[in-house]
Amino acid sequence: MDSQTLDNLNQMLDHESDIRERIRDQVNEFDKKTRTVVGILSKIHSTHSESMPSLIETAQPVIHSFSETITTLASIIPPNQFWRWKDMWCNSLRTAVFAAVLSEYLTKGILLSLESTSAILGMQEEWHDRVHLAVEDYLHGLITMVNELSRLAVNAVILGDFEEPLKISAFVKEVFLGFSMLNLKNDTLRRRFDSLKYDMKKIEEVVYDVSLRKLVVKQPPVPAKPTS
Amino acid sequence: MSSSIHDQFVLFRDSLDDYHDRRERLIKASRDITNISKKTIFLLHRLALEAQDAPARASAAKAGLNKLREVQKMYAGMKDELVGDNFWRYQRQVSPGLQEYIEALSFAHYLEHGNLISYDQVQATLCGADGIAYFPLTISDYLLGISDLTGELMRFAISGFGSPGGRSRALETCYLVRNCKSDFERFTPHVWDLHKKQAVTAQSLSKIEDAVYTAVVRTSEFDLPPEMLDDLVNETVFTYNREGKNFERGNDDSEDFSHSYYH
Repeated sequence: MDSQTLDNLNQMLDHESDIRERIRDQVNEFDKKTRTVVGILSKIHSTHSESMPSLIETAQPVIHSFSETITTLASIIPPNQFWRWKDMWCNSLRTAVFAAVLSEYLTKGILLSLESTSAILGMQEEWHDRVHLAVEDYLHGLITMVNELSRLAVNAVILGDFEEPLKISAFVKEVFLGFSMLNLKNDTLRRRFDSLKYDMKKIEEVVYDVSLRKLVVKQPPVPAKPTS
Repeated sequence: MSSSIHDQFVLFRDSLDDYHDRRERLIKASRDITNISKKTIFLLHRLALEAQDAPARASAAKAGLNKLREVQKMYAGMKDELVGDNFWRYQRQVSPGLQEYIEALSFAHYLEHGNLISYDQVQATLCGADGIAYFPLTISDYLLGISDLTGELMRFAISGFGSPGGRSRALETCYLVRNCKSDFERFTPHVWDLHKKQAVTAQSLSKIEDAVYTAVVRTSEFDLPPEMLDDLVNETVFTYNREGKNFERGNDDSEDFSHSYYH
């Protein structure tokens, strides 16, 4: 190859590593934010249901700040190259989805839809070829939420809240039914879906324990209507 | 199940099914492309071994390029699956076949022109009649495909070593492979797995160098031009073969070998 060709190729490769560096910086920012919000949300296990809304309230500013990072990412990614770079930030994005859907469930008792999650994260339709919320990433976020809710069922009982496990059970069953409709291949989503049955089992055992011992004094609440 | 959750998951199912099906189709296509490209490489080796001069090698290259049209047609058929950001979604499925195709294409190009095919020339073979590329060629596929070419050049140099002009051709490939190795060194930090290919290139290079070394040492023992040495060796081989044939099939008067520097 002559030196002109070599320089051209090298220039193109340098340009790519420049993009990679800039994305990496944003992913670091993104990570800091998701860690902060996961830290806040881990307190749900020691929070009584009546103070839950105010705890979730403290997570909101962080959740809303995700959109800044996502907007910056969209400005870095070249057109049509979403899938080329998305692996760099998909872990952070899945955690962000988890934070958004968990907060929605704990405040309103409903499942936040993919579209609403995208909106909360500040995704815009005109960047669809650069940054968007892929189905896969949304579903990963949902599974993390179910994992967390199975712990919450146990910890709610520890705090003396015997109703929460029943609500969680109804909600998680709906989500699980949804997942059962998917034709999953042998990938990470499939493996994580397989873990859901253990969460279901754990929640069912808690429900069984509290029902059998008649710990639920009040009438079990109507299962929350999951809507978007 | 509440209807909105149900409806959402129906959409997710469609989207995931579409992804998996398309992925499977592209993996199959990529495998077929790999297959055709490998056959083309064997074809090129066979024809190049028989080709004694540059025009014969050029026609060998033509035969190979003809076969690669099949691959180009397959890429034309795949372009709708790879439109827009889909190319990057399925890049990992497309890339193995593409590298094999580039290897075959660059080998044919070398036999015809004696040099490396450029990035733009490869991209030009993956364009429709309207000049619009089916999908963007990545630099890494280009470099990795060319990197595989060095192995083919080694095979070409060594197996053609004994035929007329084989020694000087081995020397040409030696320079080309050596340049590839040194040129690609600066790209290794940027391109995934290129360092492994560089190690293979280094092995091929040292095989060619050993062969060329032998050629130089032996030639220096005789004060004759290399073509003459080729003919000397060929005459011995030919005489041996003819005697063998006579022994088997009785006398036959094939007299097609007529020139020798000693007549």
